[in-house]
Amino acid sequence: MKKFFCILALISLFVACDHIAEGDELIRVKQQPAQRVVLLEDFTGQRCINCPLGSEVIEQLQEVYGDTVVAVGIHGGPLGFKGNAKNVGLATDLGDEYYNHWNLEYQPVGLINRHGVVNYTDWAKAVKEELAKTAAIDLKASAALKDGSIYIAIEAVGKDGTVSGKLQIWVLEDGITAMQMMPDGSTNREYVHNHVFRTAVNGTWGEDFTINEGETKKLSHQQTVDPTWNTANLSIVAFVYNDNGVEQAVKIEVISGPEGLSE
Amino acid sequence: MILRLTGLACVLCALSWTPVRAQDVATVSGSIQSDMLFPQSDADIGAIKDGDFNTNTYVDVLMQSRHVDGGFRMEYMDHPLPGFENDFKGLGLSNAWLKFKMGDNHLTVGSFYEQFGSGFILRTYEERSLGIDNSLFGGRLVVKPVKGVTMKVLSGLQRRYWSMSEGVVTGADGEVNIDEWVSGMQKHDMRLSIGGSWVNKYEKDEDIFPVGDLSHRYNLPKFVNAWDARINLNKGPWGVLAEYAHKSQDPSFDNQFSYRDGHVAMLSTSYSKKGLSVLLQAKRSENMSFRSQRNMNGTSAFINHLPAFTLDHTYALAALYPYATQLAKGEWAYQAELGYNFKRKTALGGKYGMNMKLNYSYVRAIQSAWLKWGSDSYYQDLNVQLTRRLTKDFKLSVMYMNQRYNKTVIEGEGGMIHSNIFVADGMFQIAPKTKLRGELQYLQTKQDQGDWMFGLLELSLAPHWMITVSDMWNHGNSDMEAYDENTHYHYYQGLITYNVKSHRIQLGYGRTRAGYNCSGGVCRYVPATKGVTLSYNYNF
Repeated sequence: MKKFFCILALISLFVACDHIAEGDELIRVKQQPAQRVVLLEDFTGQRCINCPLGSEVIEQLQEVYGDTVVAVGIHGGPLGFKGNAKNVGLATDLGDEYYNHWNLEYQPVGLINRHGVVNYTDWAKAVKEELAKTAAIDLKASAALKDGSIYIAIEAVGKDGTVSGKLQIWVLEDGITAMQMMPDGSTNREYVHNHVFRTAVNGTWGEDFTINEGETKKLSHQQTVDPTWNTANLSIVAFVYNDNGVEQAVKIEVISGPEGLSE
Repeated sequence: MILRLTGLACVLCALSWTPVRAQDVATVSGSIQSDMLFPQSDADIGAIKDGDFNTNTYVDVLMQSRHVDGGFRMEYMDHPLPGFENDFKGLGLSNAWLKFKMGDNHLTVGSFYEQFGSGFILRTYEERSLGIDNSLFGGRLVVKPVKGVTMKVLSGLQRRYWSMSEGVVTGADGEVNIDEWVSGMQKHDMRLSIGGSWVNKYEKDEDIFPVGDLSHRYNLPKFVNAWDARINLNKGPWGVLAEYAHKSQDPSFDNQFSYRDGHVAMLSTSYSKKGLSVLLQAKRSENMSFRSQRNMNGTSAFINHLPAFTLDHTYALAALYPYATQLAKGEWAYQAELGYNFKRKTALGGKYGMNMKLNYSYVRAIQSAWLKWGSDSYYQDLNVQLTRRLTKDFKLSVMYMNQRYNKTVIEGEGGMIHSNIFVADGMFQIAPKTKLRGELQYLQTKQDQGDWMFGLLELSLAPHWMITVSDMWNHGNSDMEAYDENTHYHYYQGLITYNVKSHRIQLGYGRTRAGYNCSGGVCRYVPATKGVTLSYNYNF
């Protein structure tokens, strides 16, 4: 019996109580400057009640870090909605394919520079960590709308060693008003969906890409505009990825007319 | 990795231990369980073929002797059955333990399962159908210093699939059976026990940012403490259990990083005598999700478990919308159950007697004021089941169930589903060793996927064979707010089971629908599957 209480007393030395007083729940942290662009793939769905919380995190990240955080809302998976006669759906077969490829289990969930699956509550932490890293390449892009097609130009510059992988180009659309289940269980039919993944320009998994240090590469692509897309709100995301994750990313608005290609 | 190496050391130690006396001869027992699927794709029901072969296979070995027990479990889930969490995949030595016994006292080193009281602040257990094994890996000491007193102290890391959870779990529990001290209580058939428990979780600090605020991070408590007190009184046919538990600040993914304390209180009363049983239960819980890893979601890393106050139905359509306990949100839960046997040769009992079971469960949201209800109903189930032998060779069971299922709260979307379920289950004794059982079930609802039907025939050829065929058909129209199209699919299944000695083999083919598989209020989403199934069980 004495031994038992000795053990109990010994254990009590290693445990303690923590009480966080009201008003002390948050600790201020310093913002660090971004060293590169970070790609956040948000796997979302219109029937997912917590997905608007994920969108809120993205808005906050973009407010603080601007264009250095490129977000893509990929609708699909079990809580995605492809639409019917009554409601507009944003899920796509490609979205489902990506959801299944990454073996995702719930929504919202994200890939931050494709370094594993991240809960939306950890997106800010993961994005901050990625922003502090440097990229081995620079990417620039321009996109112009002409005669029902988007003309896309990509320019890549090698900065550090040789980078091999895939170059992926996607079309996104902002400002789509469509149904969304909300965290309180209600349905918001006027919800505005931003950075919605529409299609892959150069195949589901992109095209082979290699660049050496000091080298500059220019590529061009063309994408026919789907009649359901609002051409005023389209943008292009291009990124290079490999087994190490996303090496660099860029997002550019689609500009009407040939001036869009002048950048 | 740590578990594997240490576990291997334990196993080797156990195997190398040599009994020295006749009464110390060690016995070895164990079991094998292997569930296999040869999957096929089926675009209609959404079944995806993930490889050519999936299996969850377990081998348990237990060695027992007078002073030392030891055991280990090997698991092969490198190509697991569909629907388990990604980290479930793996293979190797998952659990290993040694138990040193001296009289009523024992010390366990390695993997162990434990429950304090009803499990409000600590319950580690294995539930293979849900992919749960939240055993602790560490040490546990159980002593019985005097008659009627049991004390436990433990500490360890929690298994989370093929790694260890980040938190260290430490706890102590004491239970006193007062009736063993007071002879008067024993004379009056009265049993009284009181118990108390304490659990501490240590988890290191980490950067977690509030949604919508990147300039701050949470100030996280590294230590979370929980305690539990309980009293259990039984006298004759009467029984009362009252239990209360409290948890200190534990901001987590589950409670959206709330700093409020957690509470749960339960009162359970029962009456049971021949032919009549009554159970009345009430429970209020709030913010009681307790995990060894604060930023975890899904079904893993839970330290505690709140018992479900809803019935786990076995009939297919009655189990279509199962309730999952809302640990973090909290709930008011009530259950009442009445069982009564109508005697033979009475108007209602008939020639052979009749059994009636009436069960009602109701779960509702809470408010911050303790005794007030919140605005939402989460679940309601009223069911009555009558079982009566109509002739010497025919037994019939019928059930009616009225259910309200808040799909938005339980699954995340879908609104309230109100359904009526009817079941008829008849069993014919065709010959002394031959039985034929049939089920007809119907679920009526205007919500979700609409109405369902289910039929089953099961032929038992004792002692070896059983043949089962069934079909579940969603013939109702789906709610077009939630579904892209109607899902008028048949979920057919055929099974052949063969038992011989300690072996059981089951071969099957069919479709299973996507849905939730629940046990004790804990649920796992199972995707639609189609293909050949093979199960093998062996005990040695």
